[in-house]
Amino acid sequence: MTSASVNDIEFRSVTKRYGAVTAVTDINLAVPKGAFVALLGPSGCGKTTCLRMIGGFEQPSEGEVQIGGAAMAGIPPYRRPVNMVFQHYALFPHFDVEANVAYGLKQMRPKIEAAEISRRVGAALEMVRLGGFGKRRIHEMSGGQQQRVALARALVNKPKVLLLDEPLAALDKKLRTAMQIELQTLQRELGITFVLVTHDQEEALSMSDKVCVMSAGRIVQFASPQEVYDRPANIFVADFVGKTNRLSGTLENGNAVRLSSGALMPVRDTLLAPGTALTLAVRPEAIRLAKAAEAAGGIAGTVTHRIFLGSSVEYSVAVSGLGDLLVTAERQSLAADGLAEPGDPVRLVFDPSGAHVFPA
Amino acid sequence: MPLAPATKRNLVTSALVAPAAAWLFVFLVLPFIAILVFAFGERAPEGGYQAAFTFAQFANLGSRAAAFRNTMMIAPVGAFLCLIVAYPVAYFLAVKASPKYRLVLVSLVVVPFWTSLLVRTYAWMYILGSRGLPNLLDMVGISDVRMLNTPGAVLLGIVYGYLPLMIMPIYVSLEKLDLRLLEASADLGAKPLSTFFGITLPLSLPGVMTGTALVTILLLGEYLIPQLLGGGKVFFIGNALVDLFLQSRNWPFGSAIAVTLVAVVVLVLLVAMRIAWRFAGTRQVDLV
Amino acid sequence: MSKDYKDSLPISASRFMEEFMRLKRGSVSRRHFLGVTGLGLAAAVIARVPGLQGGAAYAQDLGTQMSIATWPNYHDPATFEAFTAATGVAVEVNVFGSNEEMLAKLQAGASGWDLFVPTNYTISTYVKLGLIDELDIAKAPNFSPSTQNTRFTNEGMVDGKTYALPKNWGTTGFAVNTGKIKTPMTSWKDFFELAQTEADGRAMVHDYQLTTIGNALVSLGYSFNSIKPEELAKAEELLIKVKPHLYAINSDYQPSMRATDAWLTMCWTNDGAQLNRDMPEIAYILGKDGGEIWTDFYAIPKDAPNKAAGYALLNFLMDPAVAVKEHIANGAPTTDSRVIALLPAEITSNKIVYPDEAALTPLEFGAAVTLTDPGRAELMARFKSA
Repeated sequence: MTSASVNDIEFRSVTKRYGAVTAVTDINLAVPKGAFVALLGPSGCGKTTCLRMIGGFEQPSEGEVQIGGAAMAGIPPYRRPVNMVFQHYALFPHFDVEANVAYGLKQMRPKIEAAEISRRVGAALEMVRLGGFGKRRIHEMSGGQQQRVALARALVNKPKVLLLDEPLAALDKKLRTAMQIELQTLQRELGITFVLVTHDQEEALSMSDKVCVMSAGRIVQFASPQEVYDRPANIFVADFVGKTNRLSGTLENGNAVRLSSGALMPVRDTLLAPGTALTLAVRPEAIRLAKAAEAAGGIAGTVTHRIFLGSSVEYSVAVSGLGDLLVTAERQSLAADGLAEPGDPVRLVFDPSGAHVFPA
Repeated sequence: MPLAPATKRNLVTSALVAPAAAWLFVFLVLPFIAILVFAFGERAPEGGYQAAFTFAQFANLGSRAAAFRNTMMIAPVGAFLCLIVAYPVAYFLAVKASPKYRLVLVSLVVVPFWTSLLVRTYAWMYILGSRGLPNLLDMVGISDVRMLNTPGAVLLGIVYGYLPLMIMPIYVSLEKLDLRLLEASADLGAKPLSTFFGITLPLSLPGVMTGTALVTILLLGEYLIPQLLGGGKVFFIGNALVDLFLQSRNWPFGSAIAVTLVAVVVLVLLVAMRIAWRFAGTRQVDLV
Repeated sequence: MSKDYKDSLPISASRFMEEFMRLKRGSVSRRHFLGVTGLGLAAAVIARVPGLQGGAAYAQDLGTQMSIATWPNYHDPATFEAFTAATGVAVEVNVFGSNEEMLAKLQAGASGWDLFVPTNYTISTYVKLGLIDELDIAKAPNFSPSTQNTRFTNEGMVDGKTYALPKNWGTTGFAVNTGKIKTPMTSWKDFFELAQTEADGRAMVHDYQLTTIGNALVSLGYSFNSIKPEELAKAEELLIKVKPHLYAINSDYQPSMRATDAWLTMCWTNDGAQLNRDMPEIAYILGKDGGEIWTDFYAIPKDAPNKAAGYALLNFLMDPAVAVKEHIANGAPTTDSRVIALLPAEITSNKIVYPDEAALTPLEFGAAVTLTDPGRAELMARFKSA
């Protein structure tokens, strides 16, 4: 099989330097047709640079970016079959909503008839549920509405790939959640490839088919959201995606680790040699909390804080020699909400499948 | 009884505004009233003003039609040439120049203003005179080139003299321009020229209008450049006014021309504001 | 190439400043340029040395300050310093670009001048408008009526009363670069003909109606002072025909002549003498068909705040020992034979400064009406805007 027929976007050994600063190093990435991929990472990790290289606003220093199997070297943004939803939307303030959405269509050659443009613009606005807003001025629209105008303005051109640069960052949480669902629905309906840049791991996990976790200009992991969460490629991913307790210890044998506190902790089988120094990433939900009086085994600790999150409760537990550990308890799994109160002595029982082991 | 806070605020505002208002009244309003009165008077036999009420001065405006025509033609053309030259400079300063050097470059635009226009125009007389550029051209075999005292020299002087006044407002409006809008335009398939005419130019129009109105208005009163670089053969309203007030001392007629000129300036401003107004609604927060 | 690169530069910095300072001093053209640029309104205090007490000759209280309105570069600055040293009166010098400007300022009132320097054809107008007083000649004992050449000084008298005392006289002719123009020129007729032929694009006329229209009239055989509509119409026709061929309409002609941008220009005596001194190929010619002769006078405004000092300075300036220094500084010929006697031979023998009697005969004094005639002002405006 040839990659061109399957992948909408391909990075081949792409490096981008700005003077002495290297923004991204040796990126290899293939985004399959119709996928929803999130580029996730902290600010400065190179994710936006990658997106801008797809859009054509930056040129790789080395390597090659392909879109739909065609090399894009030297192709300016206005000749690329992609469209972008910009951070802060970059809507044209001197046009009304309609003119903003029609802008791309008006650039097309051969020219599209005015009536056809108007029809497509209307349809695009309907699609983002802004029918009837065509004559509004941009500054008369709310943040969420502007977001949708930007979406319509990009999608009306039927791009091969839609690029989204932190599209939801400026919205409040509730609107953001709603838009996440809307974007997912749109992507499924249209069947075109979406590439989303975000620093918000929740956003990346909830919307995309595949998450590309980046750090310091390199791809650290490219996998499904579940895999990224459940099988982080390294301690950075484990730390960055979801909440994690970081512990250190030494491998005792194939499936137990002697923690720095001296306690022994069961882990999944590992091929590492006994005696290897390790860093452990333990998800808060992989730790079970039990009243000290009711459980034997596990590690003893004392509850310091209790945070009610609605569907779950988060405890902070001080363990001697390990510091404060975060423990999440689903509410239905508890006999009562008041399982433990700050100050209560508790025992922590680790689920070996929720502990990830990395050589230190 | 202590003053109500609102009254107190008003008093403070008045106190702050009063000096400027008094200055404007004494040096702008009063002289204008005097000119208005003069414009309906008569020239005394030995020159100067003689009280009367007549429209004769305005009826005589036709005798300076050529001056009005020259000015009305050169002012917009000069402003347009200024615009053509200023826009790329302003664009470069605001968009392309490295922020590190921007302040220095912008200062360089303003620096000529530290020297009087008279001195700078006088310098041009030497550059364009036969011992200047024509002499250099002569050395490479292009002889007998006339530069000074030509309409071209006047236009050059105008563009040179008024360029900073055109660059600065355009620079200011371009500097506010969100560069992402240009990327968005390119992303939507617009070629650079389409982006310029569709996005950049419209959004910098307030600056363009400000600069154009400023330069046009000042050009309407220009007299030094045509005198020095045009050899006095190009006659502007400004030159007509100088002659009427300082030479033939026909103050009433000069006043009538001045009043007419003010009316023209007001008209130019209104048109400029009209055009700028249409785009005023677009200067929104999302631009900044 | 042996030529120094500096010779090819448009102008060196020092040369520019020199030219510009010359311009500021006003030697390039006393009448117009400064009026146009507004520099004419700049005032300079030549000397402010308070506390010096006057000698016996000035027993009267002269105050400490006075003001004179005059032409740029028209005096030897040492003159005023000497006056201040002798009397303790500091002299403020106001320079003007044209007679018309002086008239306007005086007419507006409160000029503050104690002495000023009007040209002959304006004096009757000043008298008519009641702006100047009859002079008390007894207060200027240095003035010697008997040694004056009355040909030049008559216009200081109106209705038999003396309103102004002469400073110097001069002529309006034309300067021609004989290195460039080979045809011999002797008249204003020649001037306007060559301006359209051999000096095409190289001739300058004054930006001043009195001389430009006057000389055009003379070239057509009419009086320099004509205000007859049909004669003015002919002059207008000529001027408008010549205009496309002119290099410039500008009373600031020295720079253009020196740069040889212009080869031919209307010219006043002192400019002619200066040009000829520095560039001998530039000749100064008086039209044999006519032209202007003029005299500048001293007069005291009616509303002078310090008339005593005005008279004191007037008397000081009438002293031949002072007047000869003034002559050497400004270059224009004197009306007083006592001064001529003190002048070096190279000045008295200079035909530009002291032309032969025959050359002066066809010249006319400008008339008061020539200055104020609205018809001539309008003609000038039409010429300039054509």
